[in-house]
Amino acid sequence: MTDAADAGTPTPDSGTVAGSAGVVDRGTVPERDPGLVGRVSATVGRSVITALLAVTVVFLIAPVVITFVASFAVEWTGVVPSGGVTFDNWRQALGLTETLGATRGLGGQLSLLGVTLPIPTTLGFSMLLALGGVVVNLVVGVPVAYAVTRYDFYGRGWLNTFAVLPVVPGIILGIAFLRTYPSLPSAVALMVGYSLLKAPYMVLAVQSSFESMDLRQIEESARSLGASWPRTLLTVVVPNAKTGIISGSIVCWTLAAAEFNFSYIVYSRGPKPFSLFLFENISNNPFLRASAAISIYFLIVVAVTALLQATGQRGFSIGGAR
Amino acid sequence: MSTLDRWRVLDRVRGGTASLLDPVTERDRERRRIAALAVPFLALALFGAFIPIVVMFRMSVSTSNLAIEGVSFVAYERLFASMLAFVPVLGDGVGADPVYGVVIWNSLWFGVLTTLASVVVGVALAHGLEKYDLPRQGLLVTLISFPISLPGIVAAFMMIVWFGKTGVLTNAFAFLSGADPGGIALTGQPSGTTLAILGLFLGYLYSMIPRATFLLRGSYAEVNTDAEEAARALGATPWQTFRYVTLPQIRPGIVGALILTFRTALAIFGTVLVLKALSVVTFRFNQEISVGFDLAMASALAAVFFVFTVVFTFAGLRYTSAEVTG
Repeated sequence: MTDAADAGTPTPDSGTVAGSAGVVDRGTVPERDPGLVGRVSATVGRSVITALLAVTVVFLIAPVVITFVASFAVEWTGVVPSGGVTFDNWRQALGLTETLGATRGLGGQLSLLGVTLPIPTTLGFSMLLALGGVVVNLVVGVPVAYAVTRYDFYGRGWLNTFAVLPVVPGIILGIAFLRTYPSLPSAVALMVGYSLLKAPYMVLAVQSSFESMDLRQIEESARSLGASWPRTLLTVVVPNAKTGIISGSIVCWTLAAAEFNFSYIVYSRGPKPFSLFLFENISNNPFLRASAAISIYFLIVVAVTALLQATGQRGFSIGGAR
Repeated sequence: MSTLDRWRVLDRVRGGTASLLDPVTERDRERRRIAALAVPFLALALFGAFIPIVVMFRMSVSTSNLAIEGVSFVAYERLFASMLAFVPVLGDGVGADPVYGVVIWNSLWFGVLTTLASVVVGVALAHGLEKYDLPRQGLLVTLISFPISLPGIVAAFMMIVWFGKTGVLTNAFAFLSGADPGGIALTGQPSGTTLAILGLFLGYLYSMIPRATFLLRGSYAEVNTDAEEAARALGATPWQTFRYVTLPQIRPGIVGALILTFRTALAIFGTVLVLKALSVVTFRFNQEISVGFDLAMASALAAVFFVFTVVFTFAGLRYTSAEVTG
């Protein structure tokens, strides 16, 4: 009994190798008596943490719901909205009316190859920009994720670090772009920046897919059956990682569409990115119209989250989202 | 001996390049594959990050704001004089304007405060999500991860929804206490006031708590639950189990989360731009660039900011969790 208790004493088994015996000698082993903290935490600890979870979820999500509801309100002066339901805020935010507010909105309809789509220009343009970023991300992120997962080579650790850690913050990159590429069209600069800033999400997502496969075996089977290496990569390995690739693309696309810090510094001319449109709405427009503008983005995120659930991802939780 | 070594290295480099282009052995072919896989990423990193950063450093010592020409350390002199002027005793004799010292100090203390708060909350949330049998757990995870997708400007708007002059909580509180909503709102107050800073603090937490929680959930997933169960079975209270069994296991994760969350805190820009509650470094960039176009100064400040983040990230990660750097 005593033996078992001694052997089972929870000795902190962390990185503190030096002096771990000394720690035991000095008696930091827990007392038999749980003490006040122990008794309090045993009785209320669980309810406190559960309550904290509930408060946090309300703190994070309630304003999203309120914003969405407010976007349909005619008036909102007190605690609750009044005056019934209207779609005016949405119409103005989407730029579907010919008013002053609408010119600040998404403005006009997207014309592509002579066909006018019922998509507001800014929204459509931003979505395309973000899509461009995702394409670059795919070309860049999938191979590097494969290289660091499958092969062992000199500098692998560093390559991995730079691929999964956004080393340069968006605002710094923006300032660096100002002088480096002054004559580059805003659209191209934004696309390059988006792909660089969001690459970690793609790499992490694809890596987790690769890690769940026996890459060596798959590759060797395909090779021994006569497939060349590029063919193996493109027709065997990559299709197997499609879950990670799809969820990585969705996450990258959404985050790129809403990237603000970099866009704000770099954007100079041409169609405006969506995040700048959101910023103008937040800083210049009345509360209810800004609500409608932000709700557009909420709808996109909700749709994207539903898509992610379908691919087996729980929301935007890839790799802790750095 | 050393000369011989150097020749051998040169030969190896030359031989390496040749075998990359025209591989003979299977090992050479594998090296060529690795190079081919890494090249797109390296090209993006080179043109998208490395060259711009080098140009930024060059710009910070330029004599002109509109082009790169000459070498002058005026921007750095102003920056460091200003930082020195801010230091209480040492800076008394320095005649410089302490504005950069102030913004850097604001960034640091506010970043540390918000980081500590969000990591503490993050540990509690990750613990609850991982250890408790909660109803609709998947939904909870999805909801808590939702703000990760929101840019800082939207986080700021969420604070206006809660705590602005027309905000829900402000008005509810004003209704209950009879106070004037304008007097107790946490947003829209003059910059630097306690109420404004409290509003910004909550705005930072809105972005940082979800990130911290998901970083820590990763550490929690690797905790050895057998040891915890053994501790409980041997009579340890839940707190003792957490303190002596769980905490030592997640400690590297907590340090990693502190570092990465602090990086996030330093880089937050949109939230400050909308709420205008405290002049931090990122907010100063906006003033340098949009108010007076002082790109040399902005570049110098950005260079200091960049070096600081890189150094503390890599130093921190080196000493804590080897897994990030491999």
